[in-house]
Amino acid sequence: MWVLGVTERRVMGAFWVLNLVLFLVQVVGIKGAHGIGEHGVRIWPMPLSVSHGHKSLYVGKDFKIMSQGSKYKDASGILKDGFSRFLAVVKGAHVVDGDTSKLDQSRVLQGLNVFISSTKDELQYGIDESYKLLVPSPDKPTYAHLEAQTVYGALHGLQTLSQLCQFNFSSRVIEILMTPWIINDQPRFSFRGLLIDTSRHYQPLPIIKNVIDSMAYAKLNVLHWHIVDTQSFPLEIPSYPKLWDGAYSTSERYTMADAAEIVSYAQKRGINVLAELDVPGHALSWGKGYPSLWPSKDCQEPLDVSNEFTFKVIDGILSDFSKVFKYKFVHLGGDEVNTSCWTLTPHVSKWLKEHSMNESQAYQYFVLQAQKIALLHGYEIVNWEETFNNFGNKLSPKTVVHNWLGGGVAQRVVAAGLRCIVSNQDKWYLDHLDTTWEQFYMNEPLTNITKSEQQKLVIGGEVCMWGETVDASDIQQTIWPRAAAAAERLWTPYDKLAKEAKQVTGRLAHFRCLLNQRGIAAAPLAADTPLTQPGRSAPLEPGSCYLQ
Amino acid sequence: MQAQTVYGALHGLQTLSQLCQFNFSSRVIEILMTPWIINDQPRFSFRGLLIDTSRHYQPLPIIKNVIDSMAYAKLNVLHWHIVDTQSFPLEIPSYPKLWDGAYSTSERYTMADAAEIVSYAQKRGINVLAELDVPGHALSWGKGYPSLWPSKDCQEPLDVSNEFTFKVIDGILSDFSKVFKYKFVHLGGDEVNTSCWTLTPHVSKWLKEHSMNESQAYQYFVLQAQKIALLHGYEIVNWEETFNNFGNKLSPKTVVHNWLGGGVAQRVVAAGLRCIVSNQDKWYLDHLDTTWEQFYMNEPLTNITKSEQQKLVIGGEVCMWGETVDASDIQQTIWPRAAAAAERLWTPYDKLAKEAKQVTGRLAHFRCLLNQRGIAAAPLAADTPLTQPGRSAPLEPGSCYLQ
Repeated sequence: MWVLGVTERRVMGAFWVLNLVLFLVQVVGIKGAHGIGEHGVRIWPMPLSVSHGHKSLYVGKDFKIMSQGSKYKDASGILKDGFSRFLAVVKGAHVVDGDTSKLDQSRVLQGLNVFISSTKDELQYGIDESYKLLVPSPDKPTYAHLEAQTVYGALHGLQTLSQLCQFNFSSRVIEILMTPWIINDQPRFSFRGLLIDTSRHYQPLPIIKNVIDSMAYAKLNVLHWHIVDTQSFPLEIPSYPKLWDGAYSTSERYTMADAAEIVSYAQKRGINVLAELDVPGHALSWGKGYPSLWPSKDCQEPLDVSNEFTFKVIDGILSDFSKVFKYKFVHLGGDEVNTSCWTLTPHVSKWLKEHSMNESQAYQYFVLQAQKIALLHGYEIVNWEETFNNFGNKLSPKTVVHNWLGGGVAQRVVAAGLRCIVSNQDKWYLDHLDTTWEQFYMNEPLTNITKSEQQKLVIGGEVCMWGETVDASDIQQTIWPRAAAAAERLWTPYDKLAKEAKQVTGRLAHFRCLLNQRGIAAAPLAADTPLTQPGRSAPLEPGSCYLQ
Repeated sequence: MQAQTVYGALHGLQTLSQLCQFNFSSRVIEILMTPWIINDQPRFSFRGLLIDTSRHYQPLPIIKNVIDSMAYAKLNVLHWHIVDTQSFPLEIPSYPKLWDGAYSTSERYTMADAAEIVSYAQKRGINVLAELDVPGHALSWGKGYPSLWPSKDCQEPLDVSNEFTFKVIDGILSDFSKVFKYKFVHLGGDEVNTSCWTLTPHVSKWLKEHSMNESQAYQYFVLQAQKIALLHGYEIVNWEETFNNFGNKLSPKTVVHNWLGGGVAQRVVAAGLRCIVSNQDKWYLDHLDTTWEQFYMNEPLTNITKSEQQKLVIGGEVCMWGETVDASDIQQTIWPRAAAAAERLWTPYDKLAKEAKQVTGRLAHFRCLLNQRGIAAAPLAADTPLTQPGRSAPLEPGSCYLQ
């Protein structure tokens, strides 16, 4: 460093001050400018760590994926299909007919180098979903770089990369602004779910697939499929083929092959399927094909606890489930059990007396029997919280308790040493149309849970799209964008979450418009006004997507 | 299957697809009730759906989904109301600042995007009728070219006194002609409030110099725009106010687009002009209180008995205005009510149901078929205090076929 004269020192001083100012502006810029427009990080959900610059790169016409250094062989094509989908969504909103060969080639990305360390493609609870994304790659500036432990981490990386891409209306090519990007990312919780309910309304396969696609965009990873309930039984059960006589109609049914198709479609997108068989309540539809499952013709719920056949059927269903649903957990329900039909029906009431059980003990007995059967089929069990509230200490010790009734439950579950999934209905029920996206965003699963070993027992959370007023016409606009708000709460590290929901309004509006551009009917963010409810509201008036 | 054209064959494939169903026992596709002998052709040649991408931008995948669904109901014209007061989303290479009037840089269509829509539609047998609504409904044009406004404080209609206005219209239609190949172009002409012309000094002066009152200036504007479109090889469609105000001055091949109400089509054809029917009391999809039964029963040839006049009604169109419609709710607002109108436009008059309720089951079935194809068609639903007929959510659990 040469010796500076007075004038030079003043200039250099100004230079350093200017740099300091620019640096501070950049820092403030990253944290503060989450609005619409050209500045600010617009990734949803927000990654664990993000840094970016002020340059830009183009995505080459023949942008390809390269994985020579990768241990993972992609025999099942998960990575290849994921890359095709990446290209399709990035190019889907506009015709990309610009010629990148006419641009400065040092600024054109030729491809993406992917390094995946694990050779396995098993999707399961608790796998490593982390990734590291560098655009451009530090050693190959005309390539982007993606590293992950598993192919599913890589899929998340592709998702993030797709959100960095945008169409340039001047050059008519895809570009990535604000490079260089250095992104390290992994989810806060391993269980990030969405429940769909195909009993209250049948959902055709293309609709379920559209929902699965949209889940992947928000990095949700569990589709909790509440398949059957009181109103209808739409799923084929080969062991007991009359069960699906309880469907609404012959065409509103899923074959086992359809179910396998859903599981496979989800798996390719890094999404597990948690199948639910809700017992003993919410099961009236089972008796359509097998009336002996009802306590009586006039009293049809819950399932007849006194009948051995009931447990044979449960065993058959879980056996058939185990051939298709490979997620480590199965959900056995157990919520909202009104036992009066047991005491009112003579043969059941007799059985209770013979076994010295009151209603409450019979309920416990039923749940535990069902648990035993599921355990024999190799599953771990999730049950709704009433089972814990009523007889928590009797549950199989590895039971995951699914909180839904309200706040304050998760802390008691983990204090008792059990795992928990959070879905408190006051904040995370999508069918509650009066719950705002801000409330979805601010619902913290670890509220009042401070001990680290207890925090670990909260495996994650789930937003619930109950189906009473939701069919193929309105499912997506009821799910989105509010599910996205919860998706960030479940993915992003606690200290990177906004302290006030309104701070992320612009970024969420942008994500909502991105969903629309991908053919997902996400509703406007909308205010809660006398004319609209926050859930499923139509736009009130003409305007830009980004402002509604 | 036989057809004169490949587009007839596409309709035949559509019908065949509706004969097929999945057999849950054998797990194969079957066709019941054979042998089938079907002869089919549409009653009207113009069976349209209007979409409005000015009040809300509609991304390409959504427009494609709409086009797919139109084909399922054998609709064959996508009337694209591209620009209006609120936004100007389309690229116009001749006047590149026009799309500064878009809501945002990303809520725009390049010419290549427009060509993609035309191509996607054509493959499905659907024509695209592009609309350039002038001189009203054009405030957004001035964002990029403020001289098109009468003044900064009075921004509609387009300045009739400015030659530049007609240069721009010419440039737009020239660019249109490279992409929109349908025989017709729609030049709008509806809801023109001329007060900004009389209130703005330089325009008012021009009117005096040309011995025109407001009404004559409106006529002048429309006819000038027509001349320009004719020079580009188009035939013209105009909204009905042009006919109502100066019908005998319109280019004689003008197709009058009825929207204000019933009783207009008969006057148009009596005057020897062609007509498209879209009476708002029955065929406006943004009117959420109009039931599917009303859509079904709206007869375009009402009170038109002479055969040569009947021929002048080339068809009809349901209109999905975009004030409260974006990507989240467009399909559930269009369907199933557009399907009711689609049958009115396709099926021969004597095969239509005399009472709409007779087709409830078949329409419900078609609605469920749309759902199975990934189209978010709404339940048929009753008009109750809790719901409106358009865009209603299902009220309670139940079978698709009964809702």
